[in-house]
Amino acid sequence: MKFLGLLFVVSGLPASAAQGGLAPTPDLAAQLDEIARVGSVMVDGDVCQRIVTERALTYMFKVDVRDQWLAGDNYDVDNAAFIAMKKTLLRLSRLVSFPADVNLWMPIKGHPDKIRVVIRNTHEMSQFWPWGALYQDMIPQMKTVLETGKRVTVTDKPGWISALAPVSDSLGDPVGVLEVVTQTQVDAHANVK
Amino acid sequence: MGDLPANTIHHRRIMLGHITNGAPFAITRCLGLCLLAASCLRGEAVSVRAYPEYLRVDPFGQLVQADRAASATQAAVQQRQGQRSISLRGARGGYISFHLVAELRGVEEYTLGLSLGAGNSGIQTDVYREWFHYIESANRYYPDALIPIELPYRSRLPEPDNRIRGQTAQAFWIDFWIPPTAAPGVYRGRALLRAGRHRAALRVELKVLPPVVPEQDVVVVDQNSYGSSWLGEQYPRLAQNRPDFYSTDAFFRLIQAYHRIFCEHRGVYHQLGYGHAGKVGPEFAPALVGIGRSRHIANWDLYDRHYRPLFDGSAFAGTRRGARPIPFVYLPINPEWPASFVNWGELGYEVEFVNVVSEMERHFRQKQWTQTRFEVFFNHKKRYMGFPWDGDEVRFPKDNQYFMEYARLLKKALPPDTPVKFVFRADVSWDMEQQFRDLQGVVRMWISSGGILSWYKDAPRILRERGDLVWYYSGPPGVREPSASISKFPFQGWLWGVDGFVHWLAVDPGQDPWFHLEDGSTTLIYPGDRFGREEPIPSIRLKIQRNCLQDLALLDRLKNRYPLDTLKAEAAQRYNNSRPEDWWNPRPPLADQPALEWTNTSIDEATSRTSKILGTIRPDAWARVHAYLMQLISEAP
Repeated sequence: MKFLGLLFVVSGLPASAAQGGLAPTPDLAAQLDEIARVGSVMVDGDVCQRIVTERALTYMFKVDVRDQWLAGDNYDVDNAAFIAMKKTLLRLSRLVSFPADVNLWMPIKGHPDKIRVVIRNTHEMSQFWPWGALYQDMIPQMKTVLETGKRVTVTDKPGWISALAPVSDSLGDPVGVLEVVTQTQVDAHANVK
Repeated sequence: MGDLPANTIHHRRIMLGHITNGAPFAITRCLGLCLLAASCLRGEAVSVRAYPEYLRVDPFGQLVQADRAASATQAAVQQRQGQRSISLRGARGGYISFHLVAELRGVEEYTLGLSLGAGNSGIQTDVYREWFHYIESANRYYPDALIPIELPYRSRLPEPDNRIRGQTAQAFWIDFWIPPTAAPGVYRGRALLRAGRHRAALRVELKVLPPVVPEQDVVVVDQNSYGSSWLGEQYPRLAQNRPDFYSTDAFFRLIQAYHRIFCEHRGVYHQLGYGHAGKVGPEFAPALVGIGRSRHIANWDLYDRHYRPLFDGSAFAGTRRGARPIPFVYLPINPEWPASFVNWGELGYEVEFVNVVSEMERHFRQKQWTQTRFEVFFNHKKRYMGFPWDGDEVRFPKDNQYFMEYARLLKKALPPDTPVKFVFRADVSWDMEQQFRDLQGVVRMWISSGGILSWYKDAPRILRERGDLVWYYSGPPGVREPSASISKFPFQGWLWGVDGFVHWLAVDPGQDPWFHLEDGSTTLIYPGDRFGREEPIPSIRLKIQRNCLQDLALLDRLKNRYPLDTLKAEAAQRYNNSRPEDWWNPRPPLADQPALEWTNTSIDEATSRTSKILGTIRPDAWARVHAYLMQLISEAP
């Protein structure tokens, strides 16, 4: 992780520049941030916490040298919670007229240095997800969101803009992160696999 | 490149070791393929040798390590070294193949020619230069990619583009195509190698037998792929500086070339057009507009440019197999297309789905694209976080409810008497036995894990009797495996009585297939871009697979003269001294437990018998079956 190489803005404002990346289009960034703001209010953190099943979580970190697919083959979700949340995320993404996805990320209890994407969407865009990962190292900007409860715009990867926003449960605790993401040049063929 | 590969250091000693092996001659006779001739013995400047298709030779003139297990054959090869001819036999409507190897010592430049007195038989000769791939993990070279060449072929050793220090041999793959109309009889020819003042010749005798290889395969072999972004990566000359590459005619011609190469090798090609969260590649689906009741197809342009030549067969015009519609194709249908998942479970989802699929049916019907099976297939897995259920390899029985719902929607979308062949396909593993029961009449095309299917010996018969298609899947054997390994899957398919087999990924040669091939286990073709060709080029494994398929088609045809069980038993015995029942595993106690309690380790243990059989294929395994077939058709009245 290139902690020092990342530039992000901890505020409700879009980033104006990014170290190592293209300057985001201010309008795009602002629109994404607006979705993130709305999403932060609309998304129910309690429902989010019910999505991934106990079975999936139990197997997520199990290692069997003879069974490299152990975690993936036991990955399961609560259908009702997943569907309700995915519909909300899809609707949020329609708040803009350009292709954008709203992905749901969540930390993993007992593994503060890890985070996982829980729901991806139609355009299969994410600035952070290495294709196929069930979980991955905590993303510093997401950690910031979870710790501060504030939105962050990330433009670290050239051509990408992600607005990150907290998702809170009924206690007011941040339990997840929304990644509202687009690309300045959409690749119609990426991730069609 | 560093140190000389181990091939050069150890090979001669190993060859000599094999020569002392005893079991030589009968096998060669049995093969019906007189194998080798060398116009000059070791120590002379040039030689030209012929090897059967299952014996691959490295850039130093030695058998590759994986094929040395055919020791008896090799001994026979060596004993017959003094002969100056090769003799080949084959049926009409098929190919006969062998390796031709030019060896040079002390000279660099050479010219290779090959002529066959084919008269007006229509017999054609295809010649390919074999590319030697460096396999870093083995520190050895293996040939696999086949570069089409014209004869006479003029070059030098080391071959300039292959860049192998100390190369002394260049191998060529020879295909004789014998059209169904060729007159049976013996055709003769000669290979001639010239290098400076040196000459070496090899007589070729080709005996064409009267039987004709059936056009229809008894086992469909499918080569699968995902998306199309890799085409831009593999064909930089075509794609570079062309932001519109994926909508150009060159792009669509390239896709059609992939279908053609697999069709010409008696195979089928699939290209999945959507991702695990429902993103659809623009050329794989008609463009949609609107939401809810207003959703409809706005534009067929890219879709039709992509598929029209494939569905009407014109993409195959001029090929030896002739113009023919592709037999199978994935539809872009997934949980996010054509209906948006935002409406899942609501009337709007049904309306979007039914309206668009109905439009598709009408379009296909109007275009008379009625020969191709249009597959409704869900490839997504919930572990990729797009959707809450597994479309591919269901493990959780609750997920079957989604298949039932899509069957309901399809029924609403399609006229009951449609001539368009929509088929609901499912790729199954864990829960296949339950799915066979629960989804009867819903799923009509089953692509099954070979390992788990091996427990259910009655399943293919039961499924086929109710009109379902049954395929199974695995992946291509790597180039380091014995040459005949590629035959094990179609052969197993025939022994099992299934309809087809899928190589799950057959177009990905890796980052640097030319100088650092990993093992080739995700490809059976290579991009021709490096050689200025806007099309893929074949591999040795693909050729051997094709020859196996044509043999299988012919062998199966003989069931009108011999009991099919006898044919299978005799072939299995020759292949690896097995019985057809050895190709199944006993049903394990595991199979009666819920799939949620299984592990991959327990599955491996329960499939160990067939794994052992399939893991030890001798390079000459298929040659023995081929010899049996030649014997049978030679006996034909």
